[in-house]
Amino acid sequence: MATIGHSNINAKLVLLGDMGAGKSSLVLRFVKGQFLEFQESTIGAAFFSQTLAVNDATVKFEIWDTAGQERYHSLAPMYYRGAAAAIIVYDMTNAGSFARAKKWVQELQKQGNPNMVMALAGNKVDLEEKRSVSAEEARSYAEENGLFFMETSAKTATNVNDIFYEIAKRLPRAQPPQNPAGMVLVDRPTEAARASTCCS
Amino acid sequence: MASDSASSALADVSAADQNPNTIDNPSRYAVEDQLRSLALTEADDDEVDEPVPDKAPPSLQESTNEVANTDRLVIKENGLNRTVGTVAAERRESKAVAHSVEAGEEVGGAEVRESYLNEIAIVKAPPSIEESNIVLNDWRLAHDGNDPKKRSGIEVEGERGSHTVEHLKEAEKVVRAEAGECDSTLGDMQRMNSELEVDTLVSPSSSGYAGERGSSSIGSASEIDEIEEICEVRDDDLVDGIALSQAPWIPGKRHVDEDDASVSWRKRKKHFFILSHSGKPIYSRYGDVHKLAGFSATLQAIISFVENGGDRVKLVRAGKHQVVFLSKGPIYLVCISCTEEPYEALRGQLELIYGQMILILTKSVNRCFEKNPKFDMTPLLGGTDVVFSSLAHCFSWNPATFLHAYTSLPLAYPTRQAAGSVLQDVADSGVLFAILMCKHKVVSLVGAQKASLHPDDMLLLSNFVMSSESFRTSESFSPICVPRYNPMAFLYAYVHYLDAETYLMLLSTSSDAFYHLKECRIHIEAVLLKSNVLSEVQRSMFDGGMHVEDLPVDPSPQSGSVSPHLGQHSPETFRDTNAGIGGPSGLWHFIYRSIYLDQYVSSEFSTPINTPRQQKRLYRAYQKLYASMHDREIGPHKTQFRRDENYVLLCWVTEHFELYATFDPLADKALAIKTCNRVCQWVKDVENEIFLLGASPFSW
Repeated sequence: MATIGHSNINAKLVLLGDMGAGKSSLVLRFVKGQFLEFQESTIGAAFFSQTLAVNDATVKFEIWDTAGQERYHSLAPMYYRGAAAAIIVYDMTNAGSFARAKKWVQELQKQGNPNMVMALAGNKVDLEEKRSVSAEEARSYAEENGLFFMETSAKTATNVNDIFYEIAKRLPRAQPPQNPAGMVLVDRPTEAARASTCCS
Repeated sequence: MASDSASSALADVSAADQNPNTIDNPSRYAVEDQLRSLALTEADDDEVDEPVPDKAPPSLQESTNEVANTDRLVIKENGLNRTVGTVAAERRESKAVAHSVEAGEEVGGAEVRESYLNEIAIVKAPPSIEESNIVLNDWRLAHDGNDPKKRSGIEVEGERGSHTVEHLKEAEKVVRAEAGECDSTLGDMQRMNSELEVDTLVSPSSSGYAGERGSSSIGSASEIDEIEEICEVRDDDLVDGIALSQAPWIPGKRHVDEDDASVSWRKRKKHFFILSHSGKPIYSRYGDVHKLAGFSATLQAIISFVENGGDRVKLVRAGKHQVVFLSKGPIYLVCISCTEEPYEALRGQLELIYGQMILILTKSVNRCFEKNPKFDMTPLLGGTDVVFSSLAHCFSWNPATFLHAYTSLPLAYPTRQAAGSVLQDVADSGVLFAILMCKHKVVSLVGAQKASLHPDDMLLLSNFVMSSESFRTSESFSPICVPRYNPMAFLYAYVHYLDAETYLMLLSTSSDAFYHLKECRIHIEAVLLKSNVLSEVQRSMFDGGMHVEDLPVDPSPQSGSVSPHLGQHSPETFRDTNAGIGGPSGLWHFIYRSIYLDQYVSSEFSTPINTPRQQKRLYRAYQKLYASMHDREIGPHKTQFRRDENYVLLCWVTEHFELYATFDPLADKALAIKTCNRVCQWVKDVENEIFLLGASPFSW
């Protein structure tokens, strides 16, 4: 959940997508400014944090870079639960990964936070000659589903910072100020009361 | 004669208290005596054989224990002598001897084997044994024989061991026919080469692969060429091995382009396969797992052929190759190896590979096979090739893989205490296991109440973390199954590298624990930095552990009371005759395993054993020694002294510890024994530093 206080926003952001789409590469480019030609597959999920200044607010992203491997799919809710934003990444040279991205969008629409800011990233745009997913197709899909869309390249850093900035900008608008789920104390007394009646 | 035997492989297993009645081959001892008289005068047989603790009180207790156990020992004596033979035979360079041993087993069973073996323990190898016979006799299929009624073949290894079963004969005949054909083609060639063996193994199931390769119809000239090539490749592998362990071993799967039709693939010395019970490939150490579908199906066919007969295939010997099978529910694991490692060791490696798979997926993966027997598991293991290949690499350098113990990083006692107490704080806050490691060595670890971590699990955990580059880039939170803790469920692991080599693993049962674990890590890191633990860890990694050169000459203050058993030696014999090479008395290396602590300490490699090739060879020798000491049928044993052209190996097992020591091949036996006592004393003296004490999360 995004929390707003003194124009500081903490936002949990999750990256989802097929293995090899470039989630880790995008994050590493954004957080560390690095790019590795042979990025090893992620195990479970890697956690990063990065702060951005947008307009007057400071957005601190807590980024969950999840593993794309099939065995981790069932565990994804663990990472996207309570997320304020998600980047669904596909590899634009691989139509299969675009299909997989659509499935992630569906899952988030069903199970994710309804106010979540979702971005669709068509990664590896530097490999234009190998393109197999057209920008138009992806853009129209994104529009239909209320996502914003960008084509990115972690290798050349194209649109990498932009996509995170765009999310940061959209966050306050998408997220009405409220207590984060984990901090709701209102329910506690009733629970305690129930417990005491049980015991007595 | 005596010196001749000394230079060849003369092996000796001796019990604590030699009972003259149990010496069933006096001539062997006669040779021993001659040998001994060359080295030292009037050494008593009984007393020299046993590394009697001369001063140290703890080891003195050992000796009394052993006296008390005399009855038990006498019973084992026969078995011990049998081991002598096996050991001697296995170590021989002359393959003919080893073969004839196998032949003996086939024909006459245990008794023949025993007497035969005792003979070859002294007599040099009979030079001319017809190769063709050997090859035929060498084919042996061994099984689990749970139901005695089902045993219908020739008994090979006594009551509960492996034996040839009648209903396998058919398959065997086919195999033998192939083998014979190959053999005649080869003519004088020493052995069937790896590729032929794989082919002949494959052929009974008629997958068509053998035909495609046309292995048995290749002309003899090309065969010879290929064999030479294979020898070269083997050398290359060793050279490769050097590169692997010196320049840090590069993780990742190699030779992905290969399949079972590639010559290079068939020349690999050690293959590991995981397949499903329907024959679908899951993992292969070398080559493209999907291209190996046919080969996988063949392995499955062999396994199910035996299973249909109500039995279970454990091992197929094909010349120099061993094919070891392990079935775990719907998952089969197979190792094909020509490394001459003992069956038990290879089986243990398959168990570890299975454990590694469980660590990644949990055992609940079995349910997928219940739903769909033809379930394809490869996608589930996507991206984990590095984990398995790194584990397979461990099998050639990490003693933890066969000792079933872990090793600790040497640290000053207060330093380790500091690390332990901060981990304990964390464990008290709901963390199940907190483990701080540097490479494969444990700095400290703490388990929550009643939670214990098996050394094998620690090996698998550290291998998983170290082999996955992803953990190094940032903090990670990943589901992980700890097989011996609970094979059915995931734990959640927070993993973070504190520096390039030191990493912290915090395991929790809760999938929501990330932020808590992250805070724990911040706390731990701050304390470790403040108390200089991390810099001490780095210093210790740099300094290394125990060096044999540092073995104290006079380890114990009570040295005045020289043991009456070993007292005959004049002080001059203690002079280090190999100054500059290794430690005193020609001590080159040792491994000490503490039974109670589940830990071992291995000395740093010193001058004579400084190339990776030599280190790997020594590692294999230890592995073999361990297997022979822990043989389930005729063991366990207490002491073993073995001399060959490479080194003297001395093993001493008590209920408290196991010591494996390597000496110069010309080392004097009595001195070696004395040195072993000193090593044990030394280890005792510094155990505060080399072992993690008092952590005691280990209930077994």
